[in-house]
Amino acid sequence: MKTNCSHQPECMKLIQRILDKEATAEEEARFLANKDQCLPCNEGHKLEVALRKALKSTCTSTCPTSLLDSIRSKISSIVLLILLLIPLFCWFI
Amino acid sequence: MSTETSSAVALTESQARALFEKEFVPHMDAMYNFALRLTNDEDDAHDLVQDTCMRAFRFIGSFEPGTYAKAWLFRILKNNFINDYRKKSRGPSKVEFEWVEQSFAGDDDPEPAFQADLQAETVNEMLGDEITSAIQALPVDFRMIIILCDLEEFSYEEMAKILNIPIGTVRSRLHRARTFLKETLATYAAKKGYKTDMLSA
Repeated sequence: MKTNCSHQPECMKLIQRILDKEATAEEEARFLANKDQCLPCNEGHKLEVALRKALKSTCTSTCPTSLLDSIRSKISSIVLLILLLIPLFCWFI
Repeated sequence: MSTETSSAVALTESQARALFEKEFVPHMDAMYNFALRLTNDEDDAHDLVQDTCMRAFRFIGSFEPGTYAKAWLFRILKNNFINDYRKKSRGPSKVEFEWVEQSFAGDDDPEPAFQADLQAETVNEMLGDEITSAIQALPVDFRMIIILCDLEEFSYEEMAKILNIPIGTVRSRLHRARTFLKETLATYAAKKGYKTDMLSA
């Protein structure tokens, strides 16, 4: 296995595009075929996967029910206002 | 009648409410999380999501059912954040980011001269708080693009529309944001005594 990668910056960009589902099928197949022969690329791939997993497990939160209720209530007020304004507007003209 | 309400009038009351419940409500968790990561404050996130929803509802008539509501809502939220929230709370971060962006502007520019000395095992061992702190320490535009991509899984094209930047800038900003994040995590790891001696280039 190679312990040095002479084009690691490009490989890291490719790894990210693969994980972002933005690489072509050929690019992905070529990378996966060579990944196990290159230690820095293999480690880089594991690192990118670990980062995404860590972000998903730590940086998520749920919308408070009170916020959703408050938005629904405000929308009801706007709808009510519109329903009141339309007849008034028609009556004035 | 205000022009802001005119789009909502184009739909009947029940249509507008149904559209809101069907197209917007499923994305509330994601919107709140995005707002919370941007503002770093629960009250500000609450206000930002509420303002975004009210703005979206006012223009609900211009929303085409069947198109991707989440991207449309995120774009409104991002614009709202930049126009109303960032000004009052994120001045220094903006200056810092502009410097970073100018330093590495363009797809063909050289990559940052460092490769973070960090390995997957170290990230797996890190506590949730350390990951969250590293994300919050990023300049806001870097934080924004990482959340859109890695948490919400928007495509590069969708991110370009949400952020109103060319797709090449999405690609390069994302790469730099991740490099920055890895460097921040490597610094944390070194301070806390995690093993960081495997990957270096």
